[in-house]
Amino acid sequence: MLEVEVAGMKLRNPVMLASGILGSKHSSLLRIAEFAGAVVSKSVGVERREGYRNPAVLNRKCCIVNAVGLASPGAEVFSGELREFSMKSKTPLVVSLFASRPDEFASLADYFPFASAFELNLSCPHAENAGMVLGVDEKLVKKCVQVIKDVTDKPVLAKLTPNVTDIVDIGRAAEEGGADAVVAVNTVKAMAVDIFSRKPVLSNIRGGMSGKALKGIALRCVWDLYEELEIPVIGCGGISSWKDALEFILAGASAVQVGSAFYYSYRAIEGIVRGLEEYLRLTGEKIKDLIGAAHENA
Amino acid sequence: MYCLRVVEVNRFERAEVVSLKFDRKLRGHPGQFVMLNVFGFEEIPISLSSPDTLMIKAAGETTRYLQKVKKGDLFGIRGPFGRPFSLPAREEKSYLVAGGIGIAPLNYLYARLKEMGRDVVVIHGVRSSDEILFDYPEIATNDGSYGFKGNAVQLFKRLLDTSEPFRVYACGPRPMLFSLYREIKRLGALERAEFSLERYMRCGIGLCGSCVKSGGLRVCVEGPVFRGDEISEGDFLV
Ligand SMILES: Cc1cc2nc3c(=O)[nH]c(=O)nc-3n(C[C@H](O)[C@H](O)[C@H](O)COP(=O)(O)OP(=O)(O)OC[C@H]3O[C@@H](n4cnc5c(N)ncnc54)[C@H](O)[C@@H]3O)c2cc1C
Ligand SMILES: Cc1cc2nc3c(=O)[nH]c(=O)nc-3n(C[C@H](O)[C@H](O)[C@H](O)COP(=O)(O)O)c2cc1C
Ligand code: FES
Repeated sequence: MLEVEVAGMKLRNPVMLASGILGSKHSSLLRIAEFAGAVVSKSVGVERREGYRNPAVLNRKCCIVNAVGLASPGAEVFSGELREFSMKSKTPLVVSLFASRPDEFASLADYFPFASAFELNLSCPHAENAGMVLGVDEKLVKKCVQVIKDVTDKPVLAKLTPNVTDIVDIGRAAEEGGADAVVAVNTVKAMAVDIFSRKPVLSNIRGGMSGKALKGIALRCVWDLYEELEIPVIGCGGISSWKDALEFILAGASAVQVGSAFYYSYRAIEGIVRGLEEYLRLTGEKIKDLIGAAHENA
Repeated sequence: MYCLRVVEVNRFERAEVVSLKFDRKLRGHPGQFVMLNVFGFEEIPISLSSPDTLMIKAAGETTRYLQKVKKGDLFGIRGPFGRPFSLPAREEKSYLVAGGIGIAPLNYLYARLKEMGRDVVVIHGVRSSDEILFDYPEIATNDGSYGFKGNAVQLFKRLLDTSEPFRVYACGPRPMLFSLYREIKRLGALERAEFSLERYMRCGIGLCGSCVKSGGLRVCVEGPVFRGDEISEGDFLV
């Protein structure tokens, strides 16, 4: 009922964990993997990276604003942590990678022979020389995907930023580079100011917004990408209930990713999976037959 | 985030501890913490030591700066967050075992239990008499400069009366919590003990994953207070 196949990965349900949320330790990944169709680990680069000082994550009305700055222990250490996960769980593990140059992506793949797929973070809006700096440039996006496709047979997902004039151009570049799917979207550029101290709240001043307020933006991105691309689209942004997830699927998402909803509940994914199951039991359909169904009615 | 103003500062200079009282009560419970944004420095997790006070020991740059705070200073607050201590049944006697600045959240719990008319013993272990913060009767000093000579866990073992129903609440440095944990485990009473744990925290709201301990539990949401049976020995060794 809930099975989907995305980018060559067979998932028992279409609900994945988004990168950077509870994805730094094998123990939290294991707990989430009990229900998720797949989990995506925290983005990792070649070198260890401190990230920004606190405050780095803020809970605001209707959204989360963060500038964690891709804090990471580096590929070597992190591969040990993720190996532990892969030995204990059958749930597909997508390893998210960040880099400052296309060729760096290639050198990262070797550290994670146990990965089910790679996700390229071409979209973090607040890290210096990584993420979005690559993801706003069509040529670089195509190059990044090509470079890693050359060194691995595993599926490659390109995670896109909504902070561009037309996300479809970027999605097309990823497809031309050989991406097996695109993930839309990462956070929208944002910030927060405190009205009493009259200072920006994040230590990095600038950050990215996720959570409920992002949903409509992300949904539109998924819709547009579905119309123009051949490869599957994975929806992400503001999904916190099974109804949200279904909306993304109807708009063209083959699977969805859930992140900020873990602020409301550790059982965010479990709840969405259960809700979708109930819905399909009622309608007697399969989830894969609903992907993009809203386009036929448009 | 919202801002609170300091209305009273209490310094314990020899202990390098400061107690800050704010202009408003925080809607929280003993065991919960706030993310305290010290403008120009970092945002750090600090436990409530009463509905409107925080007690901070100098440990690094931010907490050292906090020792110099003045009345009127403004701080950003997120929270209170996390799971508080659970309260004992009427017939249970509570043993509050604190090491060093670990007395902060237990001081709040003590006040709450007293309000409820419960039977409570507070055991506070410090290195020397310089670090005593409250005049609780059961003080252990490592150097014997005051009260019982030894540590909080040794004093706890002396005072514990296992012939009546009891609960244990603990907060303090990792080695102290570990030795207490082993003692409670030996007594087969892990479900009757609660430990307040510390981990590096970034978000405080269960998203970033930096505070995750064994079992995939988030110290910022499922904790910081955990029952003994939710903890494994490895949690003390990281
Ligand atoms: C739930 C919880 C409640 C706490 N309650 C109190 C309290 O009531 N009173 C008190 O004095 N201290 C408390 N602490 C410890 C306090 O957060 C650290 O001492 C403080 O963060 C140190 O910051 P610094 O910049 O001065 O020192 P640093 O030099 O940055 O660090 C000194 C030590 O503090 C730890 N630390 C630094 N930043 C963090 C962080 N963001 N999260 C967790 N640990 C950190 C470091 O690992 C290091 O061991 C609590 C910690 C936690 C997790
Ligand atoms: C604290 C935090 C950390 C994140 N870290 C990453 C990351 O390392 N890599 C990445 O590709 N996206 C990261 N993201 C973005 C999420 O994966 C996701 O794209 C975004 O939050 C939108 O989904 P949501 O509304 O369900 O959270 C992070 C988001 C948050 C809130
Ligand atoms: S501090 Fe971020 S999950 Fe606990």
